[in-house]
Amino acid sequence: MSSLDNNKSVDKKYWRSLDQLQDTPGYRNFADAEFPEQETEKQLPVSRRAFLSTVGATLAFAGLTGCRRPVEEIVPYVDAPEDMVLGEPEHYATSMPFGTSSYGLVVTCFEGRPTKIEGNNLHPSSLGKSNNFMQASILNLYDPDRSKKILNGGKEAAWEGFIEGWNEKKLAYNDNDGEGLAVLCTESNSPSLARLKSEFSSAYPKADWVTFDSVSDENIFAGARIASGKSLRPAFDYSKAEIILALDSDPFMLDSENVINAFGFAEGRRINNPSDSMNRLYTVEPGYTLTGAMSDHRLQMPPSRIADFALALAHELESRGVSIPALTAYGSPSKLNLDENWINAVATDLLDHKGKSLISAGRRQSKTVHSLIFAINHALGNIGNTVSYQKADDLQVSDRTSLKNLVSNMKAGKVRTLIIMDGDPVTNAPVDLEFDAALNAVDQTVYLGSYSDDTASLCNWHINNAHYLESWGDCRSADSTPSVIQPMIEPLFYGKSDLELLQVLIHGESKSGYEIVRQTWSDILRGHSFESTWRKVLHDGVFAEGKSGTESVRITPGDIEAHLAANPFRTPPFSMEVIFAADSSVYGGQYSNNGWMQELPDPLTKLIWDNAALISVSTASENGLENGDIVSIKLGDRSIEIPVWILPGHAYNTITLPLGYGLSGLGRIANGVGYRVNDIRTLDHMDYASGVSLQKTGEKHELATTQNHGSMEGRPLIREATIDEYHHDPAFAQHEVHVPDLKSLWEEHKYDEGNQWGMSIDLNACIGCGACTLSCQSENNIPVVGKENADYGREMHWMRIDRYFNGDLDNPTIGFQPMACQHCEMAPCEQVCPVAATVHDSEGLNVMTYNRCIGTRYCSNNCPYKVRRFNFFNYTNTLPELIKMAQNPDVTVRSRGVMEKCSYCLQRINRSKRTAKLEDRELRDGEMVTACQQACPTEAIKFGNILDQKSNIVKAKNSERTYEVLAELNLRPRTSYQARLRNPNPALTS
Amino acid sequence: MKVNTENPALVFEEKPLVLGDPDFNKVTTDICQISEMPIKKTPKWWWIAFTISGILAMNLLVMIGYLAWEGVGVWGVNIPVGWGWAIVNFVFWVGIGHAGTLISAVLFLFRQKWRTSINRFAEAMTIFAVICAGIFPGIHVGRIWVAYFMFPLPNQMSIWPNFRSPLLWDIFAVGTYFTASALFWYTGMIPDLAIYRDRATNKIKKTIFGILSLGWRGGNRQWKHYEVAYLLLAGISTPLVLSVHSVVSTDFATSIVPGWHSTIFPPYFVAGAIFSGFAMVMTLAILARAVLPALKNYITMDTLERMAKIMMVTGMMVGYAYSVEFFIAWYSGNIYERFAFVNRAFGPYWWAYWTMVSCNVIIPQLFWIRKLRRTIPVLFALSIFTNIGMWFERFVIVMSLHADFLPSSWDYYKPTWVDAWTFIGSFGLFLTLFLLFIRFLPIMAISEVKGVLPQASPHYYHDMPPAGKGAING
Repeated sequence: MSSLDNNKSVDKKYWRSLDQLQDTPGYRNFADAEFPEQETEKQLPVSRRAFLSTVGATLAFAGLTGCRRPVEEIVPYVDAPEDMVLGEPEHYATSMPFGTSSYGLVVTCFEGRPTKIEGNNLHPSSLGKSNNFMQASILNLYDPDRSKKILNGGKEAAWEGFIEGWNEKKLAYNDNDGEGLAVLCTESNSPSLARLKSEFSSAYPKADWVTFDSVSDENIFAGARIASGKSLRPAFDYSKAEIILALDSDPFMLDSENVINAFGFAEGRRINNPSDSMNRLYTVEPGYTLTGAMSDHRLQMPPSRIADFALALAHELESRGVSIPALTAYGSPSKLNLDENWINAVATDLLDHKGKSLISAGRRQSKTVHSLIFAINHALGNIGNTVSYQKADDLQVSDRTSLKNLVSNMKAGKVRTLIIMDGDPVTNAPVDLEFDAALNAVDQTVYLGSYSDDTASLCNWHINNAHYLESWGDCRSADSTPSVIQPMIEPLFYGKSDLELLQVLIHGESKSGYEIVRQTWSDILRGHSFESTWRKVLHDGVFAEGKSGTESVRITPGDIEAHLAANPFRTPPFSMEVIFAADSSVYGGQYSNNGWMQELPDPLTKLIWDNAALISVSTASENGLENGDIVSIKLGDRSIEIPVWILPGHAYNTITLPLGYGLSGLGRIANGVGYRVNDIRTLDHMDYASGVSLQKTGEKHELATTQNHGSMEGRPLIREATIDEYHHDPAFAQHEVHVPDLKSLWEEHKYDEGNQWGMSIDLNACIGCGACTLSCQSENNIPVVGKENADYGREMHWMRIDRYFNGDLDNPTIGFQPMACQHCEMAPCEQVCPVAATVHDSEGLNVMTYNRCIGTRYCSNNCPYKVRRFNFFNYTNTLPELIKMAQNPDVTVRSRGVMEKCSYCLQRINRSKRTAKLEDRELRDGEMVTACQQACPTEAIKFGNILDQKSNIVKAKNSERTYEVLAELNLRPRTSYQARLRNPNPALTS
Repeated sequence: MKVNTENPALVFEEKPLVLGDPDFNKVTTDICQISEMPIKKTPKWWWIAFTISGILAMNLLVMIGYLAWEGVGVWGVNIPVGWGWAIVNFVFWVGIGHAGTLISAVLFLFRQKWRTSINRFAEAMTIFAVICAGIFPGIHVGRIWVAYFMFPLPNQMSIWPNFRSPLLWDIFAVGTYFTASALFWYTGMIPDLAIYRDRATNKIKKTIFGILSLGWRGGNRQWKHYEVAYLLLAGISTPLVLSVHSVVSTDFATSIVPGWHSTIFPPYFVAGAIFSGFAMVMTLAILARAVLPALKNYITMDTLERMAKIMMVTGMMVGYAYSVEFFIAWYSGNIYERFAFVNRAFGPYWWAYWTMVSCNVIIPQLFWIRKLRRTIPVLFALSIFTNIGMWFERFVIVMSLHADFLPSSWDYYKPTWVDAWTFIGSFGLFLTLFLLFIRFLPIMAISEVKGVLPQASPHYYHDMPPAGKGAING
């Protein structure tokens, strides 16, 4: 009887849960809010696969919870897709468009859901490496706050409804050649978009087409056009440059193509033995950028004076016999406070390395400066060597003048229909254009956007934008190699891509992104057999033969002179200046609702979850300011309030204002975070502005940072030397401390067989960007803890970048040191754990047993590197269901109360060992790559078996620069560092 | 003190340990009347104190519940400061728990008869302090529900605790100490419990004390066994006095954290523990004397003065330890160690350091003055200062974590309101248990006190003139 009863209760429970799954209003509300596509499921053709992969599994997560463990039911495949093995990842190539750049990716997918992004080594802009923006973009895909529906006047509408409505208008525009129709799009380099744009122009010849982005290389393109008379796109090769001069630019972090720039730079200073030479980097900048931190010589300069510096340098070069066309037209520099010594030294170095030097200027500098830099690079013979120029046919580059014209047309009522494709122009357009007011003057506005931002709320139609990982598209890289963007997953919220919207605008009927892209590519692949080449392109991600080739450039002095006559080169009088900068975390605002990015410390300030006006130590003391003091910054008759943060080494009397914060309506992460600086960013001062005043308001704002102490306190943590010192004593780093012999009471474990894992980090290559931190976060399911907790020392990053200032407060140098678990052979954490939850394995890894950990935190106390992270709360419990889809199924999601830390990507080690075993062979060197190593744009991280004498890791460890941090404690860490070298110009140091 | 001219063998005539012309009967009634009064006649002060401490003890439960529900994040702990007030409180309470056994066992072995008036409640204090201490390591772990992993229990995973970890040693050390102290306390109480049984006025009391007194009849053979057992327990407990805090100190000393990694810790911790334990006994004794005037004859000014002297000595021992730590930090040439100590005194927690030094080293110097040693308000104030100072000592030690090897991970620790109320709650629990003890159990070792009366001397009736003889019965 009792067994029958038991059966009954099992049955009962089973049905009861299903009943509730289907009938509870609470559940329905949840499902509707989380997965609105379910509501429209009946009308829309949904593939079974999409349903299963996106909805099925997470639907089950909503199952009833028991006393403690949630009941999870899994919907299995009835007919599994071919080649799919559950639990085995699949990798697909795609590309990430990023303004005018694009980065080739290889995306790891588990059961149809993308979980991890890596660079595609065939793609010229990523070379298999990545940057923060690539790594974090996967979280944008799963952002539950993205716009989920098509809205018409705030009410939900259908795509078909939009097409129908458009077709009514379209007739009129077909008749009047598109008069009154305008498109405002963001920057791109997509062949398909370019094709549709030309179709659009021929369908509506009188329609306006404007490109605008808040952070753009517009000036760089314009400068090249002035100098050469052609539309050209620059591509830099830092690996060939021996002397690099960066003028107000950040080529390794925030400028376009930062991955290959950083890689090339690191290549140019890779020292494997004392006879290798390294490049020399000079920076002249107003803020303190990551590039500045890497430089051998750095000069602080307000943004308005950079032009003078470039001009002085040009004159100096000309006085030494380099002929620079049209130089006289630029005039002569105002000589105020320019460091003659510095200019002479740079000029000498440049002259000594003709054709092997590189001058880059940042996007903030005017097109005039860029034309001058073009001329100097040209005169030094760098063009064709370190700088090359490509055709820019498919490029949509931001153009602020045409935006201005568009807005005045809008205000004048000349624009009746405006199609905005992403970019939130209400927030991002120059404030003096009053874009919101102009928008109200337009009859019909359509906004294709990812968020319910300010623009979405003012437009009639809001079409939810598809993420690049869920839509078809294409793009060209900086060297014009075309690549395909292929979706990894069906659009989670049935969003539409810009191509699909344009197709409807032109032809009045919907066409899938796939067909649109294939149509474009039938042209690109002309001369090849389409289907087989197309399949190969999808497989490889790139079509290398589709490159248009380098353009030969000639300088056109006449054009320059004409331009300068119209736009004289002038330096404003000395005053306080501001620069508007892309933010290292949120860029222009694209990543504002991304928790990983908000919690990723800025490489220089280590600020999280906020932006702040960055000022120098002297500016702060002159104005009586401390970190967190809110100031009012006045420019003309506009002002903003923002807290300040003191960044030692920032240029005096200059303020950096990071963009992309203080946004509203974006979502639970972005709302209320940071301060909006766009309110003083006007059309004439989009890049920087002079004549700013700063006023202390007396209020304070709590700014959060992950590193409170910036000095090394004289401890031998980052060891560095100049190249001369290195030549004199190649093993200088090992001589800095005395490491006593280990005297043990018993025989220590030998670790002399099998795989013995070790890591080496080259501080001479590491630029401190943080891509490793994000890659690790994505790979290892590391939770985001929020501003308050992270500020309180509870951030969870397994890999952090320590940043130390060195030298004088007003002009310090900066060093970076990635820090993760060092996997000490004599691990102090292991000895003190009362429950043996952290132990050593046979391969020398210090491993965590989460199930055994009770959370005494003793291991963390005893860890001298403080790399252990504790789950003070149940950080993963509150994760939105959708974000759970971004998690790596190979890595345990940690619960509250357990300690965690870097595992050297144990799951990857095991997967590669399995693969090797199945193929009945030994693990090969380089086969096992950790997440941080894979992401690192400069290949600073090496990993492998330290017993394999031929491996790269052993080569790195055998380097004379190799040292172990805190080796004197006799912990025998498996991670070692290679000391940093600097290559100062003897003319400037003596 | 005057020279005894009549009996040169004694040289000095000792002052009587119990004042007020005691006899055996008076001792019995004096002590018994404290706990024998009917419930209805319980004094008002007891009810007020019990209500307040009971509420605070409940608050401790609520705080623990909140902590268990939300996670350790409700406390101020972070990375690098993985241990906060919980461990400070643990060491603080264990330290207080030291005086009991020291007074009962060590002073017993050294035949310090003055201990008899304070040993019982000092032992009770020890047990209650160790209970309070025991709570903290249990609740400070991240996953309270598996805290039992720390015990060497056979399990299906065939995994033992890590015997190399000082936290495991703690479990054994504190567990042994608690067991031994409780046994010692109870054994010593048996003759007194028998008195309570004999004097019981109702059936309930008679039954309870009857069971607790284990059939004690006061027979000669029982006394013989009893004294041997007591001596053995004293012998067993004496090394524990030294071991428990030495082991607790290894939580810090075996680590590699600058400021923790030090061989001076075991003796220094034991001295500190005795210091703080005596301070707490002093606090409680003065309070008990105030509310129970009968005790003034037993806990005499001389007893208090002796305790003050011990406090002064142990206070100077910790003071010596503080200075030696600084010397060694400098002498070692270790930059991390040097920084840790400079940072202790002049870093962000300078206020805690100087509170500690003032309370533990400077203020107890007042005890050099005999008058102050014999002034109740001064003794009380100084005992409180010592309690504060010794709490801060542990705080200062734990806060070594905030700035260790890599400056990048330095951070500041701030306790939260949950930390504060948990600590206050532990005092609530301690006082609740103590109030229950003085209300229901013999707060003084009646039989031992009788043993130090002049009448207990076998020669008393022989040597003294008949006029001075007191009653024998008791």
